[in-house]
Amino acid sequence: MATQIVMDRTGDTRHTFDIHDRAEVEKAERRFRDLTGAGFTAAVRSGPGEQRVIRSFDPTAEETLFYPRLVGG
Amino acid sequence: MTQQIALAICSFVLALLGTALLSALSLVVARSGSGSKTFRFETEARALTLLKEWLSPKQRASYERFRYFDVIGSQTGTRYRIHHGTQTNIEELSETGHHVCKWCFVPDGDLVAGDVMLAQKIALETNERGALSVAHRSFVSSGPRRF
Repeated sequence: MATQIVMDRTGDTRHTFDIHDRAEVEKAERRFRDLTGAGFTAAVRSGPGEQRVIRSFDPTAEETLFYPRLVGG
Repeated sequence: MTQQIALAICSFVLALLGTALLSALSLVVARSGSGSKTFRFETEARALTLLKEWLSPKQRASYERFRYFDVIGSQTGTRYRIHHGTQTNIEELSETGHHVCKWCFVPDGDLVAGDVMLAQKIALETNERGALSVAHRSFVSSGPRRF
């Protein structure tokens, strides 16, 4: 199972999907495109305390985190 | 005489109903406030758990002890200290560890501290210039810090 974590006002919302289920993977890919298209940044962990930003959907990523567009505070 | 007694009884019943209604109303308001506080507390706790999962062991230890952790900018190698908070909570440090200035950028939306700090960490560690290009910089003297 893989998880997409989307930061929001509730802390985060989690969407899990089975990487072997084609329909679920397609749905996760659509979610990825919708979120990044709306300005969210997608990041995956690449080691303890390390991460990389991804620009395209990675179905093998165990956990993908999305945070909203950054603005000056 | 009978009318006066009836009027007095009616007034008493009305006053009683009014009091009961007010009590019920204040109870609902109090419960709603308490529920909101609980929701906020749970949201903050969940965001802090997520943050800690994404911090390095050193960053996590620092955050748990001092309520701040350091990150290294991906492009310049500059050290930034992210303090617990959601506004103007990023401090740029010099090579000698002294305060240079403060930066403020946040993910859009009303997010809680844990989420804000995690987004700031990822942004500075992966796209420092992009993050700072939208940030506000402040040279206000540190003084007693209130993040």
